[in-house]
Amino acid sequence: MDQPDNIAVLRTRDFWTSLVLIVLSLFFLWKTTDIPLFGENRAGVSGVDWYNSAALVPLGIFSSMLILSFVLLGISIKAGGAQRALSMIGIGWDKAEALRFTTIGLTLIGYIVGLVPRVDFIIGGALIVTAMIYGYRGGHTNRMITSAIFVFAAGLYAFTAHTPQSEWNAHDDDWVALALWAILTAIVLIQGKGDAFARKLPIIAVLAPTILVCAMAFGFRQNVPARGGLIFKQIEYQYYVTLKPLWSQK
Amino acid sequence: MEFVLSQLAGFGGAMTDLVTDPLTYVYLITSVFLGITFGALPGLTATLAVTILTGFFSNKIPLDYSMIALLGAYVGAIYGGSYPSILLNIPGTAASAATAMDGYPLAKAGRGGEALGLTTTASFIGTLIGTFALLIFVWVLLLVSKNIASPEKALLALFGILLSGTLMSEDLVIKGWIAGLIGLAMAMVGMDPLLSEPRYTFGWSYMLSGFQVVPVLMGAFAVPQIIEGMRHVQAGKVLELKGSIVPSWAAIRRYFPTIGRSGVIGTGVGALPGVGEDVAGWVSYGVGKTVSKEGEKFGKGSVEGLLSSETANNACIGGALIPLLVLGIPGSPPAAALMGAFKINNIIPGPTIDPAIILRVVAILVLASFTMFIMGLFTAKIFIKILRIPQTVFLPIVMVLTTIGSFSVGGGINDLYLMLGVGFVAFFMNLLRYPIAPLVIGVILGSLFDETFRRSLLISDGSLEHFISRPGAAILLTVNILLILSQVPATKRGFRWIKGKFA
Repeated sequence: MDQPDNIAVLRTRDFWTSLVLIVLSLFFLWKTTDIPLFGENRAGVSGVDWYNSAALVPLGIFSSMLILSFVLLGISIKAGGAQRALSMIGIGWDKAEALRFTTIGLTLIGYIVGLVPRVDFIIGGALIVTAMIYGYRGGHTNRMITSAIFVFAAGLYAFTAHTPQSEWNAHDDDWVALALWAILTAIVLIQGKGDAFARKLPIIAVLAPTILVCAMAFGFRQNVPARGGLIFKQIEYQYYVTLKPLWSQK
Repeated sequence: MEFVLSQLAGFGGAMTDLVTDPLTYVYLITSVFLGITFGALPGLTATLAVTILTGFFSNKIPLDYSMIALLGAYVGAIYGGSYPSILLNIPGTAASAATAMDGYPLAKAGRGGEALGLTTTASFIGTLIGTFALLIFVWVLLLVSKNIASPEKALLALFGILLSGTLMSEDLVIKGWIAGLIGLAMAMVGMDPLLSEPRYTFGWSYMLSGFQVVPVLMGAFAVPQIIEGMRHVQAGKVLELKGSIVPSWAAIRRYFPTIGRSGVIGTGVGALPGVGEDVAGWVSYGVGKTVSKEGEKFGKGSVEGLLSSETANNACIGGALIPLLVLGIPGSPPAAALMGAFKINNIIPGPTIDPAIILRVVAILVLASFTMFIMGLFTAKIFIKILRIPQTVFLPIVMVLTTIGSFSVGGGINDLYLMLGVGFVAFFMNLLRYPIAPLVIGVILGSLFDETFRRSLLISDGSLEHFISRPGAAILLTVNILLILSQVPATKRGFRWIKGKFA
């Protein structure tokens, strides 16, 4: 990365970053004006002196950030960053890298925003593990796109069908995610004929989240996501009704 | 001498408590094994190991045991990075980057077993050197720190962020400072610590309690690693391990001066706020190259070169815990994760910390280094097998692990959104060559800086005189100003001119 060409790309990126940082610094400086600085009254109670105001340190931080952003802008312009800023070369990402990032981004968003709060943790975990290993293990572009579509579609359905928290325990999104995982697993097994790892993948994909969620819920007795999920609900019921009485009878 | 003996007696008591508790071994063996595994897998780092285990153990088991788990993983992961460095020419962690320079040529020359054995021994001795320094210096500094008040605390926090920004930047120093400022800005979100004035909450009640440390750590260290690592990489060929791993006494005696010197350097670098094991490894490697008789062989398969970096990065652990325990300022990124675990358990590292905790930390480090030493020498083959697992296989599982760990710390689903947001920002910061460590240190120290800076002004009715009239504060202020000035081009030119004039 220290080759002159790479440094030039870096300075071009710095040009754009410094502009973003300037805008953000100005925005937050403006937001800081919401915090009383000179002892305004709040709900009839007189405020404090300027030197003890909650706005003092943030003002210093965002002012410093604004100054440093201008310095960075100056450095990047001096190094020719502004001249290259509008050319494609300046962005520094090729199509493959952009696609890779986009698919991973969509996968993670689909998983965290859509699946984790609403869908059974074991099903959601199995889906993302299968999708990510299938999508990125061999470096095939089509597989990346397919895996991202599967996770994002499951997440999008869960999010749109059950947006409010009161509906997070519904099970139709669990079934949709389970069906998508089954289809994806079938694709993995068909395409990976003769590949020993492909045969192991469904087991790894189910076991990893199952062990984690059970260890967290029953071992550490912690809150886990989607407690009312399709599979976990059954495990939890059997644990407390069938298993636990075996060793905790008084 | 009496002081050292009393310290050793206290340490003996803590050690007895640990070794007589069977659960100690369960946590110790598991965590050191996990740590070495994390370190050995290229794409996973020591910081990530401690961060993920913080999510898992910090508030779920008693602090005494969670400290064993976290410190065991820390020691194991820093050492584990040497495996891929020596056998694959890929540093398992940033701390082992210098190790690959000499470790791989040695393994290629058929001396892989010797290299791994000496590395294990050097890492073990290095950890002990750092731990001994922690035992002695932490108390000296704790006595000094009794005189530290708000102005000094504020300036120390600022120094930690500035120094971390300066030394951790691979590109422009200004980027390290900007990263530190972003971290400080993130720490401003929520109710302010003195007046409970809400800041930048945008009407979202979750934001009132500010950004939680664990999701920020997970986002900053795990998510970018996952995004970056999910690409097809042609698996490197793991070199065959030739020769015995158990080193001979003669070899240890021969290289002991190098190990001792590197241990001291590593501890010293670790004690600098916010500077991690990678810097310690490189500094020690650089010094070794200068002072060693076989300096010209460095980079071509020198055992001294290998041991210079490997001893220092493990010695850095003890050093990094000195500022953490004495001042509440993490000495390295993994120490920042440890600080997160302390905070979750309502323990505030600094002058008021319970001395029993320090003694326990020292005893755990000694036990962890012994465990690492034994595992390194006798179970190396397991870790070599682990090297063959591609990162596209284990990173998705790390994602699931990170998710449940972050969720269960307390904030629920909002913590996951925060983790994802911080993760994307951190990924782009990595891409743009902004260091992440200053950001995390900024988040952790932001509230301390805000509170102590304003308290100093409150005491002096808005005057800055406390920052000048108190000797400690005046020294720290001067150091901070010099640190900033040292990076200003005009000052640099001035220094060069003076140097040229008097050379």
